[in-house]
Parts: sequence; structure tokens; C-alpha cells
Amino acid sequence: MKPLTIALAGNPNSGKTTLFNLLTGSNQYVGNWPGVTVEKKEGRLKKHKDVTLTDLPGIYSLSPYSPEEVVARTYLMEEKPQAIINIVDGTNLERNLYLTTQLLDLGLPVVVAVNMMDAVAKSGDKVDIGELSQRLQCPVAEISALKNTGIDRLVSLAVSAAQQAAAAVPVKLGQEVESVLTQVEEEALPQLPKEERRWYALKLLEKDSQATEKLALTQAQAEAAAAIAADFEAEQDDEAESVITTARYEAVTALLKGSHVKKDRHALTTSDKIDRVVTNRWLALPIFAVVMVLVYYISVSTVGAWVTDFTNDGLFGDGFFLMGNGRAAYEEKLEEYSTAQIYTEAFEQAAQDAGVNLEAGPLSQQARTLTAAAQFMGEDSPEPERTEQVTLAMYQQALTVAEPETGDFGTWVPGVPVVVGGWLESLQVAPWMQSLVVDGIIAGVGAVLGFVPQMFVLFLFLALLEACGYMARIAFILDRVFRRFGLSGKSFIPMLIGSGCSVPGIMASRTIENDRDRRMTITTTSFIPCGAKLPVIAMIGGALFGGPWWFTPMTYFIGVFAVILSGVLLKKTSRFRGDASPFVMELPAYRVPGAGIVLRSMWERGWSFIKKAGSVILLSSIFIWFISRFGVADGALRMLEDAQMDQSIAAKIGGLFAWLFIPLGFGDWQSSVATVMGLVAKENVVSTFGILFGFGEVSERGVEIWAALAQHYTAVSAMSLLLFNLLCAPCFAAIGAIRREMNSAPWTAFAVGYQTAFAYGVSLVFYQLALLLTGGAFTLWTAVALMALAGFGYLLLRPEPKGVPVGSAA
Amino acid sequence: MPLHMMTPGSRNLIRKITGKLETKQFLEKLGFVPGEFVTVVSENCGNLIVNIKDSRVAISRDMALRIVV
Repeated sequence: MKPLTIALAGNPNSGKTTLFNLLTGSNQYVGNWPGVTVEKKEGRLKKHKDVTLTDLPGIYSLSPYSPEEVVARTYLMEEKPQAIINIVDGTNLERNLYLTTQLLDLGLPVVVAVNMMDAVAKSGDKVDIGELSQRLQCPVAEISALKNTGIDRLVSLAVSAAQQAAAAVPVKLGQEVESVLTQVEEEALPQLPKEERRWYALKLLEKDSQATEKLALTQAQAEAAAAIAADFEAEQDDEAESVITTARYEAVTALLKGSHVKKDRHALTTSDKIDRVVTNRWLALPIFAVVMVLVYYISVSTVGAWVTDFTNDGLFGDGFFLMGNGRAAYEEKLEEYSTAQIYTEAFEQAAQDAGVNLEAGPLSQQARTLTAAAQFMGEDSPEPERTEQVTLAMYQQALTVAEPETGDFGTWVPGVPVVVGGWLESLQVAPWMQSLVVDGIIAGVGAVLGFVPQMFVLFLFLALLEACGYMARIAFILDRVFRRFGLSGKSFIPMLIGSGCSVPGIMASRTIENDRDRRMTITTTSFIPCGAKLPVIAMIGGALFGGPWWFTPMTYFIGVFAVILSGVLLKKTSRFRGDASPFVMELPAYRVPGAGIVLRSMWERGWSFIKKAGSVILLSSIFIWFISRFGVADGALRMLEDAQMDQSIAAKIGGLFAWLFIPLGFGDWQSSVATVMGLVAKENVVSTFGILFGFGEVSERGVEIWAALAQHYTAVSAMSLLLFNLLCAPCFAAIGAIRREMNSAPWTAFAVGYQTAFAYGVSLVFYQLALLLTGGAFTLWTAVALMALAGFGYLLLRPEPKGVPVGSAA
Repeated sequence: MPLHMMTPGSRNLIRKITGKLETKQFLEKLGFVPGEFVTVVSENCGNLIVNIKDSRVAISRDMALRIVV
């Protein structure tokens, strides 16, 4: 038997994806259709491994107005699959059969699968499948993809239709349209195979040049077709396309008369009743806020954070206690040990200062009466949290406290870096190789993989919201607000997730169908401060502004403001211009989501992220490891000690760019190196400062270097540095996500370039104007900043240019 | 009267679809054709949720303006 290809076509929300998964199981290949960011899925039929099933995008018709429709019809006309499975929603036959009538015109074998028959039965409607099949003159199967019924019969109908290769019989569109079609077929298309003529005759009448340009008609034929169409339109006093659309709906109504019994539907359905509450003008936003707070709280603050902490500190950190047994006891001992350490150090320091010998012979009287002040540092301030007086007795007691061994408290499982590091050491692998694997690859990939559990929780919620039908309502509720600055109602979700980590945030933009809205969302999502930017914010806020409570919230406002400004500004540029995409979307009925569908959707998104971590992030980790660990020291390129970071290649690159930041107030090489290192991961900015200011390792918020920072920067220049780091290109992982979601190198370059240029502009204007206002002199750069500000203002306020609608600009 | 002026719960007969050909066709393929009944389910800041041909469709105010009932 020769290999067969069957295409799966249907309306959005008709259960197509569910059916596709049922039919192919895990035998799937996911890619993109050429030239567009429309997902293409292919798979092999279960039990019929020689049959390939191609999942077409969800479409309402085969007109040429959306990328999805163009993809679907080009595929059907040019690749000519051996059969089409047309899935239709049984609860909404009238609208779904519209597409069916178009598919039947293509001259390919068609099998209709009426889905959601369980819901049809429940609602009290009746569909006479036998009658419908007879009227459509094609096989019709009744199925429920959700309940997995009727699938085997559908498969056998589809496979035998593909083998018999009998072209479907078109639905007649009424006397007038039929006679004009025959006329076009005879006069313009006699050269085509018989079963293809009807489709092209329709396209000629509809003046659908995209479909007919490949026909290579003779001039006489083209003119004949145009003349027939013109006569027809004059006769009907309407566009041919509208006449044909109406005729199709009439044909569908006729088909259903007698084969479809609907219960009286004037009463609102349950779904409508839910909508009256959930999308109510007063309740919509509060309900939405509650749902979002719940989703965010559970996935970011509780479940997500537990699992992520475990992954970062346990799996990719030092290690963890199996099932948590013994952890509390261990931590208690560890606390005791660190207190003892502080006592000992303080006492020994005091003894040294007083010239008292603690080692030799009997202790002197002075040693007995000596007390030392032990300072306990807090997390948020360079001042000690508390001070205790240490006496000799306390010191001697402290000396006896031993460092606790993890193995004594429970089953200790060492983390990946510890295991791999130990293993490499035991093999006596070269130190640079050990460093590459442990500090470069495991640390780099691990840092990103640490977000995986949190992302899975988030993706689970997203899948739930999508499957139950609420996601579409979110878009509806927020559309009015977001539309004003060029975003879509669905842009909210990426931004919300982006406040945890930009990578899943950017990936969540995939739920936005419209290309332009999606690209705009991808470009602006990383303006929202992510979790990794918080330490940087805390460091600058603490060191230069005394850590006021409003500092961190302010950065969120800056982020939101940057999104709004960018939206308004970009909307008016030629890249994003065009008629605002009409907001018309189908809202699926609320339903209880199937567990399989939700889990599968969560898994697909999560897995695609893990795969990326394995490729892009792996490569960039190696690259960053190299440029930050290697440098020219002592006249040769070699690996550096931690303290020599100022000689690394990264530092040299930072130094090279330092002059660029002079107008922004932080033209020293340390700032630019820290900024460059921030591209790896934003929290690196803090640790880089630690190393560059000679403090070695610093705590998360860099409390140790606050004093040094306060000396190094002015409030204005530090704020400018923070602004730039908040808004400029995100970390490599996020850039990788942008690349994937844009599915285009030029668009990725545009997004990253725009972010950086925007950040530069904002910092420049802020720094120069703040200098001027705080009594600085008016310099050339002040003038440049004022011009930049005027430029911003112009771009923001200029009227929206009319002209070439770009629509789905490539 | 344009559809956006209809109150939630009302059921209206579509008389005409106005606007550019492309918009018209977009609405038509979703089922907004003259002679069809459309029910307004809910309204939110001018955006509407309507019931057409047994499915619920959300449309913006600008789109609702083009549907004459």
C-alpha cells in the first residue's frame, strides 16, 4: 500500500487539536508552516503507521484573508492530500458546515467528523447522521474527541476514502450561482482536470487573484471570466463573493433542515449565563483580578517557589535531604555553628587588637576579662542587625562547636554540581574542563532549568484557563484597555508571567493569534521587572536611596509605563502600522476541561522550553563562561582566578563599550562590565559588582558593597544605571525565547535593538535632565537629551499615519 | 440601528452589514449575514458578546457598528 497523507481541517474550537492527539498519540512532529508563524503539526495514525496526518490551522473558511487560511488552502491545493477529515462542532453545525461546503468544492475525498456528539445529546438536540451523510454525499462519522468515542470508525472511513480516491461531490449553491459557475468552467477552464474546475471557477468569480494567478490562463480566457463575473455582479447588484457566501449559508440551512432538530434556544444556555456574570461590566474586572491573583500566588509564591527553591538550592545547588528528613535538625546545628564562628572570629580579633595571646600556656588575666563585640549582619542593611558581647567562656564554648556533617542527619543527596564536580575531580580532568562543566554548563543551564517547575505550574494554569474557556474571556475583558496602546487583551498574561521570569512570559505570548499583537507583546514583555532583576533593584535602592518601601514598586510602574509608551510609539511605526486588527473572536462554550488535554498542553510548552535550555542556553552558557573566565593575564591568554575578573575578555568588552555610557552617567568600566554580565542573567549584575569592587563573593543583594557603591555613584547616575539595566536587552535565555517565538532573525534583532535603544534613550534623558535640575551646567549632552525627549514626544503624539495597511507584515 | 446600541438579552434580525469588503467578508464567514438572528449576551465597555448561529462571538464596538439590525 502506498503511503497516504490525510489532512485534518476544521473551525477553531471544534476540538481539532484533541482529535489530532487522539489519532496520532505521541507520534508527532511540530514545526512551522513555511514563511509564517503558524504552527504545523504532523503525525502518523495509530494503527496505520503508513498514513501521515497533517493538522491544518483552525479556520472558518478558505478565503485569503488570514495567514492560517492561506496556509490551509495552499496546502490543500498544492500538496493534494489523499483525503481530508473535516471535523465539525455538532453543537454549532450551521457555522461549521460553511467550511465543509468549501472543502467539498476542492475535488478531494472528504470525510466529515461530527464532534461533541455527547454535548449535542445532552442539550436535547438531534443530528441525523445518516441523513446528513446522504445529503452531503460523503461519509459522516459521529464522534466525541473528549470522550474518545467513534474514533475507530472515523479512521477506517478516512483511510478507505483515501484509498478509493473518489472526489467529493460539491454542495449545490442554487440555480443562479451554479449556472454562472458552469459558464466560467466551460469558457475559461476547459484545460483543467474536471474535479479542479469548480474550485478555480469559484475563485475566478470571487476575484481571488492569489488562488488563480498560478493558472496561467490565456488572455481570452481571463477576459471571458472577468466578463462573466461582471455580468453576474450587475445582475445580482452585489459583489460575487457576497452572493456566493449567502448561497453557501442557504445551502447549509437546506442541508440541515430535517437532518438536525434543535431544541428551542431562546432561553440562555448555561454558558451564556456564566458569561453574563463573568463578563459583566461591573464584575468582570474584579473576577479577573481574583483569578489572576490566585494563579500568580499559587504558581509564583507558593508551589512554584517551593519547587524552584528545591531545584536551585538542592538539585543544582549543594544538595538536599531525601524527603526533607533531618533538614530541620541540620539547619539548627548549622545556625549554631555559624553563631559560634562569629563569636570565635570576634573574640580572636579583639584578642589580637589587645595584644593578648590565646594560644600559649595558661591564659593571662587580661584574656580572662577580655570581651569582644560580635556583630550579626542583617540581609537588608550594611549596619549590624544586633551586637553581642563575647566573653572567654563563650569563646571556649564556641570553639567546641563542630561544623555539622550533612550525612549525620538523614539521607543526604548531593546536588548535580557536587556530584559531577567530584566525579570530574576523581577522574583528574583538567581544571579548566571542570570549570567549564560545573561553572559554565551546569550553572548556566541549571539557573534556567531552575525555573522549569515553576513554569510547569504556570503552564498548567494557563492550559486550564484555556481549556475551560476563560482565556478567551480575558482577552475580551481587557481588549478595550490594551487596544489603546497597540496590544491585545491577551497580552496581559505574558506580562504577568514575565514578572516572574521573562522566558515563560514570552513563551505565553503564543496564545495571541494576531501576528502584530504577538510581536508587540514579545518586544515589550521583558520591560516588566523579572525575579532576577529584583536583587539589582534592591542593591541600588539600598545603597543609594536608603531602601525605601516604594523603591521596588516604583520599578514595576516604570516597567508598565515603558510597555505603554512603547505600545503607543511602535503602533505608529511602519512595522506595526495598519488597520487595528478587528477584534472579533469566537468564545468557546465553558466546559470542564479534560485532564489529558490540559496536561498535554502543559507538557508541550514546558518541554519546548527544556529543549531550548539544551541548545541555545547551553551554547550561550559555554560562551559566557569562556569570556568571563578567560583573559589575557601575565602576557598570555589563560584561565583567571575569581579576583582577576577585571582582566577577563568580558571585562575588556565591557571596557570597550564604557564610553558609550558616559552620557548616561556611568561610563566607568565596572558598570559596563556588570551590564554586559547582566545579559547572562540579571542577578549577575550584583555578583559582578562584588567581584569588581574587590569584595569577592557577596550576598544576594550585595549588602557588603553598598558603601562602595554609594561612593562610586551619585543617586542620579545609579538611577540611570538601574533604568538602563531594567529596560535594555534581557538575558540570553529571554533573547532565545524571543527568537523562538518571533520565528524570525530580523524580528528578533528588531526587538532586542528596540529594547536597548529605548533603554538608552530613557537613561540619557533621565540622567541629563536630572543633572540639569540638580544644578548641573547645560552641556552638549543636555541638548542631545532634550532633542531625544522631543523625539520621543513626537513619536508618541504624532497622528497615526494612514496608508498602506500592513496587516500581517512579514 | 447598529448592533452596539442593542441591550443585553435582546434578539435582533440582521438587516445589513456595512463597511469595507474585507471586513464584510470577515463578519460573513463568522455567520453575520443578513436575515440571521443575533442575540446580545453581554456588554463590556462597548465590546459585545453575541450569540450567532449557536456560537458565541466577541466583537469590538467598531465591528458592532457595522452590523445593522
